[in-house]
Amino acid sequence: MTTVSDQQKLSYIAAQAADARVNLEIESEGMTLNLGPQHPATHGTLRIIARIDGEQVIRADPVMGYMHRGYEKLTEVRTYPQVTTLINRIDWLGSFANEVPFILAAEKLMEVEAPPRAQWIRTILFEMSRIANVVLFLGDMAVQVGAITPVFFAFRDREHVLNQIESVTGGRFHPNFDRIGGLKDDFPKGWIDETRQVMKKMRRFCDEIEVLVMDNEIFQARTRGIGVIPADVGLSYGLSGANIRGSGVDRDLRRDNPCGLVHDQIDWKVWTHPDGDSFSRFWVRLQEVRESTGIVSQLLDSLPSGPVMAKVPRIIKVPAGEAYVETENPLGAMGYYIVSKGDLVPFRVKIRSASFSNVSITPWLLQGVYVPDIITILASLYFILGDIDR
Amino acid sequence: MGLVPGLVKGLGVTGRTLLQTVFPGGFKKPIPAPIRGAQTVQYPHEKDIPAPRARGVIALHEGNCTSCMLCVRECPDWCIYIEAHKEKAPPRRAGGKPRKKNKLDRFDIDFALCMFCGICVEVCPFEALFWSPEYEYSEPRIADLLHDKSRLHEWMATVPEFEDHETGSVVKQKTVPPL
Repeated sequence: MTTVSDQQKLSYIAAQAADARVNLEIESEGMTLNLGPQHPATHGTLRIIARIDGEQVIRADPVMGYMHRGYEKLTEVRTYPQVTTLINRIDWLGSFANEVPFILAAEKLMEVEAPPRAQWIRTILFEMSRIANVVLFLGDMAVQVGAITPVFFAFRDREHVLNQIESVTGGRFHPNFDRIGGLKDDFPKGWIDETRQVMKKMRRFCDEIEVLVMDNEIFQARTRGIGVIPADVGLSYGLSGANIRGSGVDRDLRRDNPCGLVHDQIDWKVWTHPDGDSFSRFWVRLQEVRESTGIVSQLLDSLPSGPVMAKVPRIIKVPAGEAYVETENPLGAMGYYIVSKGDLVPFRVKIRSASFSNVSITPWLLQGVYVPDIITILASLYFILGDIDR
Repeated sequence: MGLVPGLVKGLGVTGRTLLQTVFPGGFKKPIPAPIRGAQTVQYPHEKDIPAPRARGVIALHEGNCTSCMLCVRECPDWCIYIEAHKEKAPPRRAGGKPRKKNKLDRFDIDFALCMFCGICVEVCPFEALFWSPEYEYSEPRIADLLHDKSRLHEWMATVPEFEDHETGSVVKQKTVPPL
């Protein structure tokens, strides 16, 4: 496998150099290509202004903010229980994971701790939202290289996970299930067995994608050795999540900083890939979905009994102070910095979303690549516009 | 080219999926309905049944509402409108003083604004608001999405019973009050 990769990398670099030389010789002026804000190959409304010479990108600037909804300001006029409704909409594919760091930060300020059963259920739903989110990436990445079928497989199998989330929380996309001090409700009867079946289906889906997409020659030709992020560059741009693990950096907040979630109670593994190219980011995400199904199954086995809500006052006033909690969300590290003045509403909330930092590397990363590779590289970075613009 | 096998494999998967969809029981069986192996539902003719907890539409139990305005205050986008006036009600015991009671004049929920968060249902202390999994109430005019109290009360008939909880749970089982 590595020899194929090296060969492809070398041929890609050689082609780039040859093209750059031709461009110099014919003294082409280049052109500006606008990708987006509305373009089928961009996810949402990210606009890329690419200065192109021949087939090569000289510089590319991402323009964001077309979908800015002002959540940081809106949270200042919403009470704490109302905020979770809003922040569901930040990363809309893995909504439950958005609530968790905010609630954990508020709990840290209030000095309450959710009961064990609530922590377990939180972690289960957290991982299920990761599966629902990343499964769509696995299909979508294939679309960007020209395969249509995998995305339908992804939508088909994501539906099983979403149905399970819906039967617990009541919402397919916007659960609004997390409360300060615990959860709104418990699992309905029979849910655990159904979820075990769904996790089996998701593992089968991963095998299917592995055969269908990852082993495919066209997919490998389009992703291997393309969009390489070295570990130090990735770290300096603040990349997180599977993007940085795809560059060989062994960093996962679920393991390194398990604040309030119970990932440290079970046996699982952080996957990394040394290459740092588009393919390795895809590979890491595929392994993570598998790992997440394992985490959910283990947590379902060891689910403790008891209440799901700690004792909290009916009207929630968070004492004055500051707290920052960061968790490993589907797209990367997501954190909330809450400043409270002892009111019903937060004084200020700073949202650190993963996609914003992940996209910031694009001007560096897209230099010198070919136009069709812009799409695959952007797809492999996997951002969600709601997560960038907030 | 080394890419041809990849192309052929991809086409093979598409073809296999197509055949499985059209002939779910194998080639030899006649086709009862060509879409039987499909993953989708032919919507207006057959319907997916959402989970009992699904947040479809809010139902109002009019008799239980005391117009305390808690739901109005807690709504994140303020889409509930309540107006009420005080009325004299007959005394509970014979010979007692007449009571004062809040009479609900208006209870509107604007489903064009509603974010379906469920906070109103949760904060209601008198069991007057419930979720119903019904979802077929789209309207050609956006103003018609404002449901008044009689329409909200009609949804009560579609509210399912609360499900039992999973073993190990100590959450109190809720019930839907009779109409």
